[in-house]
Parts: sequence; C-alpha cells; structure tokens
Amino acid sequence: MTDLDHHVLNIMMGDADAFGAWLSDGAEYALRRALTRYATSVDVEAVLQEALLRVWQVAPRFEPDGKPNSLLRFAHTVARNLALSEARRHAPALRLQGRGAPPSGEEVPIEPALPDPHLRAALERCREKLPEAPRVAFDARLAAGGHESDGSIAERLGLRKNTLLKRFGRARALLLACLEKAGVSIQEELA
Amino acid sequence: MTDEELIEELAGAHRTSADDVRFHPAFYDLDEAGRLEAHRRALVLRQLEAAVDPDGRSTTVHAVLARIRDAGG
Repeated sequence: MTDLDHHVLNIMMGDADAFGAWLSDGAEYALRRALTRYATSVDVEAVLQEALLRVWQVAPRFEPDGKPNSLLRFAHTVARNLALSEARRHAPALRLQGRGAPPSGEEVPIEPALPDPHLRAALERCREKLPEAPRVAFDARLAAGGHESDGSIAERLGLRKNTLLKRFGRARALLLACLEKAGVSIQEELA
Repeated sequence: MTDEELIEELAGAHRTSADDVRFHPAFYDLDEAGRLEAHRRALVLRQLEAAVDPDGRSTTVHAVLARIRDAGG
C-alpha cells in the first residue's frame, strides 16, 4: 500500500506545495472516489474542495496516529461528515423533487491509488491528434485551473457556453478512445 | 442547456468561492443518474488533467491551492 504520510510534516509546517503533492500523489482521487455514495445527494466537487480547505486549516494541529495514511484517513472523516451534513441540509429540497433520503455515514476503506505510469506520455500523443476545436476547448478549460467559470471561458474564446461544453466533451471522448486504443487504463471504478 | 451539457459543467472543478459549501447550479437541474454520471466523469477527468499538468495537479488541486493562497495560507 502507498503511504502518503511522508508529506505530512511539511503540510503541518504550512507548505502549500506539499499539500498539493499529497493531493496529486493519490489523496484527491481516493477522497473523491470515497464520496461516490453521496454523489446523488451532494455536489461532490464543492464538498471535496471545502473539506480540503478545512483539512489544511487544522493541519498545523494534526497529530498522526503512527499508522499509514493518517492524514488521508483524517481527511476522509472530514469529507464524509461534511457530505452527510450537506446531504441532510439539502434533503428536504431533494425530497420535494421526488428524490431519495441521504445515505448513511457507513465507513468505507480508503487508500491512495497511483495512475497508470504510461498515462502522461500516451495522453500527450493523443492530445496532439485532437482536431483543433475540441483541443482548444480542452486546453482552455484546463488552463483555467478551476478558477474561471465555463461561461467566462466561453466568452473569452468567443463561443457560447454550450458550444464550449460540447467541444470539451468531444475532446474528452476522443482522448479516452485514443488511450484505450493505446492500452492505457484510466481508473473509473466507483466506490 | 441539455442534460449532457449540464453533466459536463457539473464535472468541472470551478465552484464559487464562499465561506460555506455552494453547490454548482447544474447540480439542481440534474436527476440522480445525471449527478452520478458527472461524478464518474470528474473521477476520469481529474486523472487526465493531472497527467497533462507540468506539476501533476488536477484542476481541483489548482483551485484548492488558489483558495488557500488567496486566504493568505
């Protein structure tokens, strides 16, 4: 099992880059996947980002328990509790729309997962093969890094928002087909 | 917008900065199947984003680090 706790000391000392490395080394994927059971009741992206900010805020006072992935397990608890709280807060509105009750907080095991080592090189080759319009949409949304709304990105490119989203979706589909053809796997199993 | 476009939008990492949790407006316009598909799509997309980023960071990681730095952390 991969243990991400080698980042913890630097994170506790306020090193944001170490926090980014901890997330990129597998914590983000593991936490997102662990929130699958709440995906119909809450906006997982919003919950995950807020949970990570809360983990960062309390990190200086974090006490590792000596077992592997102590910070990941702590972050999982924070994210799960926030998801449950948000699911309950939104439950009346969702029930009015004819949707189910929020899920229980049953524990699920969590551990980081590493990406296919060939993914980066294969994806670069696949990206070069994209037609221009989908590639521009894909690159623009990535370059925005989650800081800019799709409406704003579309406006900057002189597109309607639905056109941007259609082109981005086409880029994603073409890239996945290309990766599959190259024998590179993407982890998409839901928890 | 079509459900397909709403799913694509919900699968993105942009969320309004706030002191509390703000769901993306597309979340409320989708049924359970659409929300689950957006989640599945985000799981895949973040891996693609990290793989093309020079620092291996997904758009979610970039967004969280930006919020940390904006807050002076």
